Amino acid sequence: MCLKVCKLSAKPEFIEAAKAGNILARKCTKCSEILLATVYYCRSCGSKEFEDTILKGTGKVVTYTIMTVPPAGFEELAPYAWVVMELDDSGIRVSGFLGKIPTPEDLPIETPVKITGFDERGIVLEKL
Amino acid sequence: MERESVCVLGGGSTKYGKLDDSISDITLQASVGAIESAGIEPKEIEAGYISNVFGVADKQVHLGPVVMSNLGISECPSLSIESACGSGSVSFREAFANVAAGFYDAVLVTGTEKVTHTGTDWTTTYFSYCSDFFYEGQAGASFPGLFASMARAYLHEFNATEEDLASVAVKNHENGVLNPKAHLRKKISIDDVMNSAVVASPLKLYDCCPFSDGASSVILCNEKFAKEHSKDYVKVIGSGRGGSPAALQGREQLTTIPSTKIAAAAAYKMAGITAKDVDFAEVHDCFTVAEVVDSEDLGFFEKGTGATAARNGETKLNGSISINPSGGLKSKGHPIGATGVGQVVEVYEQLTGKSGERTVNDAKIGLTQNFGATGASCAVHVFESV
Repeated sequence: MCLKVCKLSAKPEFIEAAKAGNILARKCTKCSEILLATVYYCRSCGSKEFEDTILKGTGKVVTYTIMTVPPAGFEELAPYAWVVMELDDSGIRVSGFLGKIPTPEDLPIETPVKITGFDERGIVLEKL
Repeated sequence: MERESVCVLGGGSTKYGKLDDSISDITLQASVGAIESAGIEPKEIEAGYISNVFGVADKQVHLGPVVMSNLGISECPSLSIESACGSGSVSFREAFANVAAGFYDAVLVTGTEKVTHTGTDWTTTYFSYCSDFFYEGQAGASFPGLFASMARAYLHEFNATEEDLASVAVKNHENGVLNPKAHLRKKISIDDVMNSAVVASPLKLYDCCPFSDGASSVILCNEKFAKEHSKDYVKVIGSGRGGSPAALQGREQLTTIPSTKIAAAAAYKMAGITAKDVDFAEVHDCFTVAEVVDSEDLGFFEKGTGATAARNGETKLNGSISINPSGGLKSKGHPIGATGVGQVVEVYEQLTGKSGERTVNDAKIGLTQNFGATGASCAVHVFESV
């Protein structure tokens, strides 16, 4: 837990939380805005006093693409989806990698998904 | 503070496409083109603004001093500006601000890029570094993928089809056929787009602009300097910049680009005009969906109606608003560091009677809009003929 003023770079902690299927967020102690832990100042009020908040990594697909021409390192994984999801409890959006999605029929918008880990593919998602 | 009136005095471009010459050579070629078009001597240039993203891929960064030295003005100060695909317009804006403030009478603004020799895989990978990499590139999203996600949101939210998006590509290729410097000079049909290979669904190959090499350059100066040198100049009457959350996940809506709206509002305010006064626009159509979103964010069409407007031909050359008479990024090509400056070259040529068959009839006011990444940064400029 951070003590009022949070650590400048919380990426290691963010990654650890994602590996456990959660999202590490920060709740502004001044205006209650909830932001991803990679942010240092509140976008609403400019404060940098937060409390750490663990958000459950379940939510719904907001939008996505199915990558058939992937960047280097992803050649063996295509076709896969890159997804923007909205978390159930907070409305916070995060994005990540969702494997083995060959056609749009496999992933309608609003499909329930969950965070299952974090590795060289960034945040990793699965269909619920 | 009283601002100097700022003018574009001349413009030059290499052809866009797969070029054999090195990045320093094409940067020089475009710069010489602008200098000769302006009718000035290199020694009259007081500063150089170079926009470039991946000079490292052709073994040359710090391009400014190289170009200045080859122009015989090694003592002239220069700098390089990187703002992803929006580098050119951001560099133009910084040059504008310095001339407007009276620091310089005349400056060189050159945008340049050389990437095609690295191949599609590596170019795709390099470009992904322009995203908010921790959340996007790292998780396997390419730029076609990011815009495809916006396209899916647009098609889901509004009454629009993939064929509507395809009509943007068809229109821009029609215009590009008329542009001798365009990368892809061939007519295409809706079927050609729909039947092209899927790159990142729902976007297909022909929804995407090509990777291009190329360089574009303009001379920017105050009006006194312009009048002393040529009758062919245009005034920069509006300039605006804006920002958006770097990652798509940080945006409340995925069918609009906040930085475009902020930049356009500032540029329109400075120019004292509204979107209705614009005769033609060079907009950032890196993907077909981007042009549709741009046309709404710039105020040419109501939210959700841009795709229908494109399908109905309103954005064709000499339609109700001519969008991308040059062929746009889609057909003219997208050398990313050059694109924003290339848009200004097109506006300069349009407003000084140098655009041949692709001329927008009776045009007085032109606009450029160029953004970086998925619109995390954007600059909009408004120009008026004299």
